[in-house]
Amino acid sequence: MSAKKKGSEIRVAASYAVLVLFSVIALFPVWQIVSISLRPADRLLATTLELVPANASFRNYEALFTDRPFILWMFNSTFVAAAVTLSGVVLASTCGYAFSRFQFIGKKAGLLSLLVTQMFPATMLLLPMYIMLVNLGLINSYLGIVIMYSATALPFCIWQMKGYYDTIPTSLEEAGRIDGCNQFQTFYRIILPLAAPALVITALFSFMAAWTEYLVAAQILQDTELWTLPLGLKSFESNMGSEWGLYGAASVIVTIPVVILFLSLSRWLVSGLTLGSVKG
Amino acid sequence: MKRGRGPLSSALYLLALLGVAGCALFPASCGNAGPEKIRITIWHQDRIDVRLILERQLARFMALHPEVRVEQLFKETEQLRSGFIIAAIAGQGPEIVYGPSDQVGPFEVMNIILPLESIFEKEWLDRYDPRGLTWYKGHLYQVADKLGNHLTLVYNKKLVPVPPATDAELVAIGKRLTADLNGDGRPDRYGLAWNYTEPFFFIPFMTGFGGWIMDDRGAPSLDSRGTVDGLKFVIALRDTHRIIPNEADYEIADLLFKDGNAGMIINGDWSWAGYLNAGLDIGVAPLPRIAATGTWCGTMVSPKGFSLNVNITPEKKRWAVELIRFLMAEENQLEAAQELYTMPTHRGVQQSGFVRDNEILRNSRIQIDHGRPMPVVPELRAIWDAMRPAYQSVLAGTMTAEQAGREMQALALRRIREMNE
Amino acid sequence: MRDSQKLRQRLFVFALVAPAFVILFGVVIYPFFYNVVISLSNMNLRHIRDWRIIGFDQYVKVFTEPSQPAFYGVFLKTLIWTFVNVFFHVVIGVFLALVLNQKEIRGKWLFRAILVLPWAVPQLIVALTWRGMFNYEYGAINQILRQWFGLQGVQWLKQPLEAFMAVIITNVWLGFPFMMVIALGALQSIPRDLYEAADIDGASWLHKLTTITIPLIRPVMVPAITLGTIWTFNNLNIVWLVSNSGEPSDQTHLLVSFVYKAAFNFYRYGYGAALSMVIFAILLVFSLTFMRKSKATENVYS
Repeated sequence: MSAKKKGSEIRVAASYAVLVLFSVIALFPVWQIVSISLRPADRLLATTLELVPANASFRNYEALFTDRPFILWMFNSTFVAAAVTLSGVVLASTCGYAFSRFQFIGKKAGLLSLLVTQMFPATMLLLPMYIMLVNLGLINSYLGIVIMYSATALPFCIWQMKGYYDTIPTSLEEAGRIDGCNQFQTFYRIILPLAAPALVITALFSFMAAWTEYLVAAQILQDTELWTLPLGLKSFESNMGSEWGLYGAASVIVTIPVVILFLSLSRWLVSGLTLGSVKG
Repeated sequence: MKRGRGPLSSALYLLALLGVAGCALFPASCGNAGPEKIRITIWHQDRIDVRLILERQLARFMALHPEVRVEQLFKETEQLRSGFIIAAIAGQGPEIVYGPSDQVGPFEVMNIILPLESIFEKEWLDRYDPRGLTWYKGHLYQVADKLGNHLTLVYNKKLVPVPPATDAELVAIGKRLTADLNGDGRPDRYGLAWNYTEPFFFIPFMTGFGGWIMDDRGAPSLDSRGTVDGLKFVIALRDTHRIIPNEADYEIADLLFKDGNAGMIINGDWSWAGYLNAGLDIGVAPLPRIAATGTWCGTMVSPKGFSLNVNITPEKKRWAVELIRFLMAEENQLEAAQELYTMPTHRGVQQSGFVRDNEILRNSRIQIDHGRPMPVVPELRAIWDAMRPAYQSVLAGTMTAEQAGREMQALALRRIREMNE
Repeated sequence: MRDSQKLRQRLFVFALVAPAFVILFGVVIYPFFYNVVISLSNMNLRHIRDWRIIGFDQYVKVFTEPSQPAFYGVFLKTLIWTFVNVFFHVVIGVFLALVLNQKEIRGKWLFRAILVLPWAVPQLIVALTWRGMFNYEYGAINQILRQWFGLQGVQWLKQPLEAFMAVIITNVWLGFPFMMVIALGALQSIPRDLYEAADIDGASWLHKLTTITIPLIRPVMVPAITLGTIWTFNNLNIVWLVSNSGEPSDQTHLLVSFVYKAAFNFYRYGYGAALSMVIFAILLVFSLTFMRKSKATENVYS
């Protein structure tokens, strides 16, 4: 018994070591970006390994909020990302459920077609997309981008939800039926909560798709007041000689909501909800 | 079994309402300026300090003409070109597009910009430096208010009190400055640093040794003595005289110069303000003369100007033209020159006190006079693309300079043929 | 099932599936067919509005035109790029998820927050930062190699092989958090009592891993791996930024770089469309084979 305990102590210590190692690897380049934001005179690079750059200051952060409409960009991006997340969660959870539970004509083709939509290099799709949106009157509108982003994020999310639903035994729906629930209620009250981790992934992925996307937004949005964060960040860039200080500061701030979202959602990702008690 | 998803559900419902409300409130034409105003849009790729001046000038224009609303939209250079092409082909796009002259070629071939010589009368055009008027295939397609985009020799006055006038002086100063300050066997300070791995930044030495990228008919002329000797010169700077770093891209060179670890840098007029703001005591000098050929290193000079979208409506055209005249006017060009050190195109402003006497502008003018206009033909992109691999192979030592000249030429011809099939 | 029940079920399925698919097809169908048409045309700089169908010429060009660098070399590079990346993403991601999932670990939230950072930070600046780290003279990687390991620096960005490794390293760093998050989710679907039963039987950790964990996270991991492969194959961004558009000497390219160059640099839209279709065909064949092998369209408990 004590040998097993010793073994598990070693395992835990090794686990911490691994986690710390990877954390350092993950953190190091990100810290470089923080350094960029603190360095004066828009230096993208540095010649030393120092953690805190010489003459560090928060001037870039100040300038970000006072000299540029950063808050507007943030508001715009939040709005768009929230809409895409919402549509992603609603549509993927329902669609994935259908693919998991039912057999119907075109099911295999449907699933494959989801993949197919991802296989095209985005570069070539910009021109027809623009023409299409012009004809639909969706240029320069958030509705246009939300639709485009949803279309980009949905395939993965649907597949993901389907995969997760596949691990939930159908006996649960039968139990629900016996209890008198109709199909939708079974889905909504019994199965959906069990698929919480997949919902988290869907939400996170949809959010990221909208929060970080540049090409489509650049093509569709024509008004400066509508700019999302990626467009705003791009405005710090020039062909040569970008405003790296501001870019770094903006990048740091833009990362924070993502991490917060992830942390708050990961309650359900690692909920430890023991399905065993239910599945048994 | 019911878990605490109450708050989550309510949050989602709220977001849903927000979403629906928002999509309804953001119709296609946002930024409502009132029902009567005529809306003119300018797309540009100006960096922030130029943008601020543009906004100021636009505000003045709108104050003068309350029935017009002008909006400016920044797009990164590549996005500006491809975005304008896509929009214009779809029948949309801004009324005015403002950018460097090399976009004129592709835009003209695709038939998305208007000829301007019938719109602006000759007397008005004569007020401006002819280098700022971009003619292509017999038509005027762009009128520019700024001339430049040219490389110059920027030097740190603390390290280099007097800039070099010839290549020999350049090497001498470089040798004096390049030093291993901390004794680790590798130099910490270089005499010269610049983005020499990029063909655009190699052009000065190609011209200094007598070459140029294309001949009068627009065909590439990369296989020349100028190319070969220029390549050999750059290699010599790195390997024989050792005054430039082993590996330098734009950011590294910029960093070395800003940190005071490079005495000189070859960079363009867009960079001077950044160095001044970084607190460096910089001077701007023309690139040196190559003693062997007697030729001054020339760079590509490009005007930055206004073109009109072919989709423009007649009513908006009238105002767009008014706006261009306004932005090209004397006082606005002077304002830009004073704050940005860009070379104006208005002849009167070019002769004015500030532009004549200011040290930076004085030297900038000399370099512009040594330079050659950037070609506007669409094939230019093919040439850049063709130069890069061979050029970098020479730097890596896997190709000789003579071979590189031939390779560049062959690849350029092939790319041009592919483009035009 | 009675007919009315069947009908209700069909309507239910339809209501679940239709909204998503309407959006998807609406958005994708037109661009897709537009590209098919353009790929058969001569649309380029000279024929931007007056293009006409010319047949399969563009496809012939894709395969036979002498290109710089050579087509098949780049194709091979793209394959290596894809598989190496996905392999490390999945292995590191699943590994970290397993480690992080253990109940003895404290401060999980902190580790999770840090480990998700590569996914969360804006790609452009982080790619350029990595590029800076690979600089021979001043980059952090060589500095660490010199100071801590006493090695001479590696010429990361100036040699083709090293440059290729550099872009792969960067992309692995960027991509493992995604797989880690998926794996964390997947691990939640495994009933605890399966492990407890195995423990009672005295199974080793390796046995538990291979007979319980891996098979049961498969339904969730397989979509991620499939799509991850497709995305990685076409992921131009990182390669472009870290190698500064293909340095050294245009050696660091993926297949999709050609599409980008053709469309953006040379305005050869017909050629770009044809190449896009070829890429599409390659990925389609891959997906079909992978899907059939992993039986991903079916249900795991059935």
